[in-house]
Amino acid sequence: MSDRRTVAFLSAVTFAIVACGGGGATTAPSAGATDAPPASEPVASTPAEGCTVGVSWNNFQEERWGKFDEPALKTAIEAGGGTYISNDAKSSAETQASNVENLISQGANVLIILAQDGTAILPSVEAAAAANVPVIAYDRLIEDPNVLYATFDNKGVGKIMAEILLGVIDAGNFAIIKGNSADANADFLRAGMTEAGIPDVGATDPAGKIVIVGEEYTDNWDPANAQTNMEQILTANDNKVDAVLSENDGMAGGVIAALEAQGLAGTVPVTGQDGDKAALNRVALGTQLVSVWKDGRELGTAAGTSAVALCANPDLASLSGTVQFDTPGGNTLTSIILDPTPVQQDNLQDVVDAAVLTQAELCAGVTAGSVTACP
Amino acid sequence: MAQAPAVQPGTVTDRPPRSPRSLLAAAEIDTRLIGMIAALAVIWVGFNLISDGNFLTPRNLFNLSVQSASIAIMATGMVLIIVSRNIDLSVGAVLAFVGYTMAMAQTDWLPNALGLGLGHPATWIITLLFGIVVGAAIGGIHGFVVAYVGVPSFIVTLGGLLVWRGLIFRYQQGQTIAPMDPTFRLLGGGGPEAALGATLSWVLGAIICIGIGYTLIMARRRRRRYGFPLRPMWAEAAITLVSFGVVIAAVAVANAYPWPDGLAQAYAAEQGIEVPPGGFSTGIAFPVVIMLLVGLAMTYMATRRRFGRYVYAIGGNPDAAELGGINVRRTIMSTFVLMGILCAISAAIQTARLNAAVTNLGTQNELDVISAAVIGGTSFAGGIGTIPGAILGAVIMQSLRSGMLLLNVDSPSQDVVVGIVLVVAVGLDVFLRRRTAS
Repeated sequence: MSDRRTVAFLSAVTFAIVACGGGGATTAPSAGATDAPPASEPVASTPAEGCTVGVSWNNFQEERWGKFDEPALKTAIEAGGGTYISNDAKSSAETQASNVENLISQGANVLIILAQDGTAILPSVEAAAAANVPVIAYDRLIEDPNVLYATFDNKGVGKIMAEILLGVIDAGNFAIIKGNSADANADFLRAGMTEAGIPDVGATDPAGKIVIVGEEYTDNWDPANAQTNMEQILTANDNKVDAVLSENDGMAGGVIAALEAQGLAGTVPVTGQDGDKAALNRVALGTQLVSVWKDGRELGTAAGTSAVALCANPDLASLSGTVQFDTPGGNTLTSIILDPTPVQQDNLQDVVDAAVLTQAELCAGVTAGSVTACP
Repeated sequence: MAQAPAVQPGTVTDRPPRSPRSLLAAAEIDTRLIGMIAALAVIWVGFNLISDGNFLTPRNLFNLSVQSASIAIMATGMVLIIVSRNIDLSVGAVLAFVGYTMAMAQTDWLPNALGLGLGHPATWIITLLFGIVVGAAIGGIHGFVVAYVGVPSFIVTLGGLLVWRGLIFRYQQGQTIAPMDPTFRLLGGGGPEAALGATLSWVLGAIICIGIGYTLIMARRRRRRYGFPLRPMWAEAAITLVSFGVVIAAVAVANAYPWPDGLAQAYAAEQGIEVPPGGFSTGIAFPVVIMLLVGLAMTYMATRRRFGRYVYAIGGNPDAAELGGINVRRTIMSTFVLMGILCAISAAIQTARLNAAVTNLGTQNELDVISAAVIGGTSFAGGIGTIPGAILGAVIMQSLRSGMLLLNVDSPSQDVVVGIVLVVAVGLDVFLRRRTAS
């Protein structure tokens, strides 16, 4: 009796898991995936000449995709006369594989994939190629020579940070707070800094004016670890640190807390990236120099427009505005590489206009009139 | 070393002690604690030599004390959990959840619902008490499921780890919340305003010395009253002198750390005074004061209260404890409630220190806390472990980390070293325990 009940329960659970995971997308894009009404008309009836763009998100829970990228994608696709359908893999590579199949069977003519795992997605991309469906790798790299890669210039972020910092201060003791050592992005960012003229630890730049007095990876990009690392760098150098290159905004927060404890916040410039609300507030306050921001709306528009164009002509070479990008895996991809936007005190109004945050959030604690965005 | 009353009939003082070990035995000093202090001394002196005297500076020791505080506080609770043969894997997640709750309380709920703006004098205490209540409630849920429902604590707190960290995303999709209330920030020990200053640090040191003296005298009287063997007078004197010396040295070091130059100048200008030649003394940081209070309260509870004795009895032999009339379930649940409260206190310190609540607050703290307890001599077999040991364990771990940071060792290599130290420390402990037993 109880055994039978267990079996019934387990099969119910299994069914629920399957239904919530990959299966949910067979009927319609799962509810969590799209704010707007999904493509509710029977997909099978979509005429062949209409353009259906299938978007596979890897994790829609992250705020950015729903708030910035998706609306722009949708607008661009619909402006070109296409139909937008989507589903969400909830951070699972397996779910994403079946999600991609679902999109193809729903009649997608072009796929946009935000890959959970750039390698695990390869069989799905090959299946799409077999079905003559062009694939756009959205934001994250997919190592397949046939995809169109649409992203921001990640190495450029490090370069932009360094260039802006060097515009303010071009000599003295610099500290570098890097991200997680297991994350390739941490090294890409550092490579960009090197390109802009930031020397290695122990080496001096050609002009001989910059000394790297501390360079640390930060476990999990954890701001608290960044704070401890910064405290130790300040201690080891008796506070003689003139500028800090932090690879993202969260860690910049930890760095600035450490500087604040020594009365140095606002006098030592600190970089960051992501356009975090707290970081933008710090830019307004003057404790952070810059937050390099990747505007998801730009990427969404670029990918949406390209998708519609690929519907008409699946040849990647026919697209305008592309460059050839050599990947770490040895492929050469046709790519759209956008420049990120550095947000500093003089262009803070842009992020308010883009609804990244409200003016009240931006200007909390800021002396009125000290920056133009906070009158 | 077990917290059970240290009655060792073999150490009666009728024979003059000869070897160092019998000297220690006569003085009834916890050899494990001595070993840990020795290890800490080796680490400190070693780093100081390698870093050209950069480690044993007032400033670095001040940093070290602040950086260890939040892990040490949670480790005191973890001792009782592990002693009673349970485990709590959720402390990092609970810390993050409570930290987020407190951040929301002071930046959103209090200003918008009660009309207390950022900077209101009551904000910090309401926030802290609210956080403690939330922490206790979370601990209560864990404890109830472990003790009354009977789900193993490993599973309950593994689930808790996922649940509480997942729930953070319910708060504004897990965005960073900053800045914190200015008074609340003092709890984090960031900057010289968040420390006691010279005079109060000496007052605190004096109170601690008086407390130590009083405890030693009372212990001696109690032993005499019950006819237990007494420590020889030389041992009493040595213990008193050494502990007074440590307290005085600690206060002196904290006071020797001057305010950062810029802040001192600004403060002096504001007050219309000159900066004294040595600068203003920073003194003992608030989080360290909190850690000392927590350590004291937890030691008292573990060794002097019935609750503590029950915890050790349950860890020693759960069945015997149950048959002996101990309410095992309630005691176990209480250890988890206590753990939740300590997580809330640490959460306040960490968010105040960072001046922000971030989603990866407290990641891997569960591992640091468990490591601190275990390096501090807590045994997974149950029944064995001390609060001061766990605090020392936390300080040893942080000493290794910040020492390696001073030497610019990268974080993966730091993890390798800390991992090896953890296993070697416990291995040594097991080896020595087996040898003394045989």
